[in-house]
Amino acid sequence: MTQILVIFLGAIFVNNFVLSRFLGTCPFLGVSKKVETATGMGLAVTFVMTLASIMSYIVYDWILVPLEIEYLYTIAFILVIASLVQFVEMVIQKTSPTLYQALGVYLPLITTNCAVLGVAIINKNEGYNLIKSIFNGLGGALGFTLAIVLFAGIRERIEKNNILEAFKGFPIALITAGLMSIAFLGFQGLL
Amino acid sequence: MNIVRERLKNGIIKENPTFVQVLGMCPTLAVTTSAKNGLGMGLATTAVLICSNMVISLVRKLIPSKIRIPSFIVIIATFVTIIEFLLEGYAPSLYDSLGLFIPLIVVNCIILGRAEAYASKHSVIASLFDGLGTGLGFTLSLTMIGIIRELLGTGKFFSRPLLPASFEPAIIMIMAPGAFFTLGILMALLNQYRLQKGKN
Amino acid sequence: MNETLKMGLILCLITVLSGFSLGMVYEVTKEPIAQQKIKTHQEAMKAVLPEVETFELIESDDFSAQYGIKEIQIGYKGTQIIGYVMQVITKGYGGEIEMMVGINQEGIIQGVKIVQHAETAGLGANAKEPSFLNQYVNKSAEQSLWVTKSTPTNDQEVEAITGATITTEAVTSGINNALTLFKEKLK
Repeated sequence: MTQILVIFLGAIFVNNFVLSRFLGTCPFLGVSKKVETATGMGLAVTFVMTLASIMSYIVYDWILVPLEIEYLYTIAFILVIASLVQFVEMVIQKTSPTLYQALGVYLPLITTNCAVLGVAIINKNEGYNLIKSIFNGLGGALGFTLAIVLFAGIRERIEKNNILEAFKGFPIALITAGLMSIAFLGFQGLL
Repeated sequence: MNIVRERLKNGIIKENPTFVQVLGMCPTLAVTTSAKNGLGMGLATTAVLICSNMVISLVRKLIPSKIRIPSFIVIIATFVTIIEFLLEGYAPSLYDSLGLFIPLIVVNCIILGRAEAYASKHSVIASLFDGLGTGLGFTLSLTMIGIIRELLGTGKFFSRPLLPASFEPAIIMIMAPGAFFTLGILMALLNQYRLQKGKN
Repeated sequence: MNETLKMGLILCLITVLSGFSLGMVYEVTKEPIAQQKIKTHQEAMKAVLPEVETFELIESDDFSAQYGIKEIQIGYKGTQIIGYVMQVITKGYGGEIEMMVGINQEGIIQGVKIVQHAETAGLGANAKEPSFLNQYVNKSAEQSLWVTKSTPTNDQEVEAITGATITTEAVTSGINNALTLFKEKLK
């Protein structure tokens, strides 16, 4: 139980996927101009990442290992994620049009979000069991959501500030991310 | 011959994947703690880019457009796995330091981006040089960031001490925040250069 | 329907082809990868216990859990035992630290090498540097070691890495475990 808590909190704060592991930096920088869109992206990622942790565990331990083709894990995981994203998109579209409207545009982008593939590979490398994998996936995704929503909040305010012409856009966003990353360093040694 | 020069220049300068297109940020920020890692990651990505671009260009007419993305991903993942085997077998120290980020080359948006935007529409030879140009552009950017971070963070240049011992290394530069700062400031400098050029 | 089937078949074909080619590359690179692993392992062991010509693994699981030691190898020169190399696992700041400790017959540390770690770059990661690890060389199994933040004044003290006391303590406690095991089981 404690172990699971350590993994879960560790994934959110100490080894924050975006700010200390650099996983999912593309959507972090790309879809963080508004808090609203950032929240949408965060939720979509949380959904897919948790499911991907479960599915990739099952595929790895129940298919690849018995067949002794573990070395095909990269291809297997990316296919699992791609079909998962497609599947989730179809299900949401059929069952909840409102949720689909909110998340729809972000879903295709998630396939190439390296946080999702990253968590699947980390689970495998660490040898986590199913429960630990789920909590690592959920924690990592919540950490991603936390970072991207906070970041979007800061960026919304920066937009209105008077900053150097050369720093507008990506440069100031990166510096902001760096400062946030320093703040998250404070969590190191927490566990 | 013209296409070769045009593609190389396009990949390295005009559409530099890191500084102009701002793609592939995860490896750019994560593995550039030293110049050697940056260079290694850049070259591994370049190898995958060239191979996947060529194969995708070769089979572009056989793949229906509806399933092109999954097909591209499978092709890319194949080459990434091959590179992973080769690094593990022949360059173990680089394999260890790049770690997780080798399999993650699959989801580097640069590679899928080039496949979609260029290789799926152009000839094999042109795609080869497009891959080479983009790859070199990526490698140069990563190596440059790596050199800066390593020098400021440890006082070393490609693992050799360069700065005098009196220089107190700013360790933060090789930690996570340093990656964001270095890239941010480099991009600001580039913007400044463009602004000045625009004025004159 | 026909088109869906065609697309499915093409996708299948691509996946099968890629799986097949990967299988071939895997077969080719399997041997070099395995060789490389053995080589790295051997080199690390020789680095911490020089003069050794061959190693023999102690086939016993009794120690590992108790002392946090992954494996023990006996080092021979010809038929004569020179010492032992222990692969120690200890919990550092960023995760597990795996290291090799070479101890000779008299219980004197011959060398220490960090094989794997996840310590902070620039701080804890400096534990890999010979300038730090050489502190342990020539220490004796007779007494356990401890960490000090100033210049060591006696044989039992090890100077901590600036800004990485936890890492230093982890390494030291791992080495102490190896020393205890030597004293209690191997001597």
